[in-house]
Amino acid sequence: MSTGKYLRVTRRRFLTQTGLTLAAASAPSLATPFISRALADTKSLSIVQWSHFVPEYDKWFDQFAKDWGTKNNIDVSVDHIPVANVAARAAAEASAQSGHDLFGWNGAGGAHLYRKFLVDVTTLVEATEKKYGKVSTIGRQIGYNQDNKTWSAFPDFYINFPAMYRKSMWDEIGMKPDTWDDVRIGGAKLKAKGHPVGISLGHSNDPNTTWRGLLWSFGGALQDADGKNVVLNSKETVEAVKYVAALYKEAMTSEVLSWDDSSNNRYLVSGIGSMIVNPISAYRTFQKANKKGADDTFVMAPPKGPVRQIMGGASEFYGIWKFAKNREGAIEFLKYYADHWPEAFKASEGYNNPCFANLVPKPMPILSNDPTSTPADKLAVLQNSEQWSASPGYPGPSWPAVDEAYNDFIICDMMAKAASGQMSAEDSVKWAHGQSEAIFTKWHGKT
Amino acid sequence: MAVIAEPVVKPVPRFRFILDRREVLETILVAPAILYVLLLVGLPLLLAVYYSLSAYTIYNPTWKFVGLANFEQILQNPTFLDTLRNTFIFTFGSQLLGLVLGKFGAFLLLQPFPGRKIVRALIILPFAVPVALATIAWQWMFDSLYSVINWTMIAAGILTRDEAPNWLGNPYLAMLCIVIINAWRFFPFAIVIFLAGITAVPQDVIDAATVDGAGFWRRNYQIILPMILPIVAIGLIFGIVFTFTDLSIVFLLTMGGPGGATSVLGFAGFQTGIVSGDVAHGAAISLFMLPVLLVVVIFMLRFIRRREI
Repeated sequence: MSTGKYLRVTRRRFLTQTGLTLAAASAPSLATPFISRALADTKSLSIVQWSHFVPEYDKWFDQFAKDWGTKNNIDVSVDHIPVANVAARAAAEASAQSGHDLFGWNGAGGAHLYRKFLVDVTTLVEATEKKYGKVSTIGRQIGYNQDNKTWSAFPDFYINFPAMYRKSMWDEIGMKPDTWDDVRIGGAKLKAKGHPVGISLGHSNDPNTTWRGLLWSFGGALQDADGKNVVLNSKETVEAVKYVAALYKEAMTSEVLSWDDSSNNRYLVSGIGSMIVNPISAYRTFQKANKKGADDTFVMAPPKGPVRQIMGGASEFYGIWKFAKNREGAIEFLKYYADHWPEAFKASEGYNNPCFANLVPKPMPILSNDPTSTPADKLAVLQNSEQWSASPGYPGPSWPAVDEAYNDFIICDMMAKAASGQMSAEDSVKWAHGQSEAIFTKWHGKT
Repeated sequence: MAVIAEPVVKPVPRFRFILDRREVLETILVAPAILYVLLLVGLPLLLAVYYSLSAYTIYNPTWKFVGLANFEQILQNPTFLDTLRNTFIFTFGSQLLGLVLGKFGAFLLLQPFPGRKIVRALIILPFAVPVALATIAWQWMFDSLYSVINWTMIAAGILTRDEAPNWLGNPYLAMLCIVIINAWRFFPFAIVIFLAGITAVPQDVIDAATVDGAGFWRRNYQIILPMILPIVAIGLIFGIVFTFTDLSIVFLLTMGGPGGATSVLGFAGFQTGIVSGDVAHGAAISLFMLPVLLVVVIFMLRFIRRREI
């Protein structure tokens, strides 16, 4: 007979049973420290890096790391995160003093900002230099600490930003975008024919890189060679900004004000754009979407400015956290990786450019003879891109103030404000100089 | 003689007596919630306050006290004032639009029509869809080259390609875009709030007003709306707090562009504090939200208390 007496949930019964349930549920977590200690005996190496713009590279890297792990009896895991999340992930791992062993940074920030959290890899870089030649200027600008002559990150590769133009369109007007003046004059003619030039004036990495390159080619710069002073407010910068305003009005479309990093790729593929400045991922995308259009697209060194021929570049580098569980494993992996770097170069289809002089001997595979391109030597010019590539701090080092100016899109906005008529070129430069100086003053007090 | 066994009286544990005391049990049951608020809200807030008064950066993680220097530097920056203005426009613009849409939506969904239940369920989707996914979908709608809105207008002969609006490239249109997206996300919530409020209004009050000759507008704006204002205000508090602190739409859609026209406090704090590593300044920028939100919440709660019937 059921009286219902035993089914009633009393306060005591509720508390007893809830307590027992909670105790049972928390038992595994109480045992965790002992289990973790046992698991710690199994060696592991964790790596995090951006999701590469060439997906095949990620596939190759994952397999490469796994194979290395199998050979050395180490359980390797590789996490790929969107490039926009790299900075936030690094901050989270540094704050928590926990995370991956090997951290791959891309673009501005990283090595110098986190140097107090990173293992000194000077010995590793010097050993690699002995084996594969000197580190290029762009590689040195990111990972090298000028003050104490140490390396806080291992330079992996840099991404160059060549110009890409539609040969048939430029042939039609009898020009080639060799200089920035040619881009403006030819671009105006092509815009009239429905084929404007497309260089982003939005908030993303590409314009941050491209407009810095143009600024340097006009003789302007954000900082001096020592990285001590802001030197933006100069006659050269004003000329560069005036040029960009004219280029925007005469040769570009207003769409560029809203572009992100993939917009110019789509613009080229759409068949409308007559010229862009971008890593070769845009060309590779075009090849997959429209082979005929890609064959008509030619890759060249960036246009020459009145002072020099130069363009921004983005570096990729690895840091080993001081709190990494397997520091030795991380160093060994990087040594092995450097020894097999030409494979990485091929897997990236020529997108990853070496930071060490002889890492990929010239003539470089793919770039010197790309069977997918017509003509096959179309990408040959990229073999010497270290001669015209520089990181955001040029002509000085990259350091936290340079990064913040980069992350605040000050150079992009300086160009965009003048181009869209919000400010005169002079006022726009003054505004950017003031913004940068505030950042530099702040960081000088903190570094 | 039969021996009758005496029942064994088990000693009752002392612990049970303690739990029988109502005030002890109440304390134990409410403790997790208080601990949660203290550890996950109170402590981070205090930490943020201290960060904002220190020279803490990722480059040099020092706790050196610098007073209000970070706030002074931020206020001297004209771009920050633009960011503050953008945050207000973004928040109040999207809430206003969301409320208007919510009210219309609620009225429509109160009317009987076939499939009303399905529509009511579907209308919640914008609120339920992850913000990243929704913003990417909107990004394509506002894309400079492939905007479906522009494409439709061009195909309908309303515009030519040259006249098509540059949604994310024009400072005013870009602000309008982020306002629209946030209002689109908020309006299902507003519909739910309005529906709950309107259906709670006693039918006899509405009937009496109708008998007295009150028309549609008078019934809605002089009878129903004043009665549901407290519940609407609660919904609005949620909307304002979530929008004022939001950075996801701006981060995913415009990155604060063009030319800083859509930079809001949450985004600026994230860029400075996390991406650039200046945690102290990032915390100080974020803390500018605190007094604003405090004033708004206090004002609205007082308003609700006065209006309660």
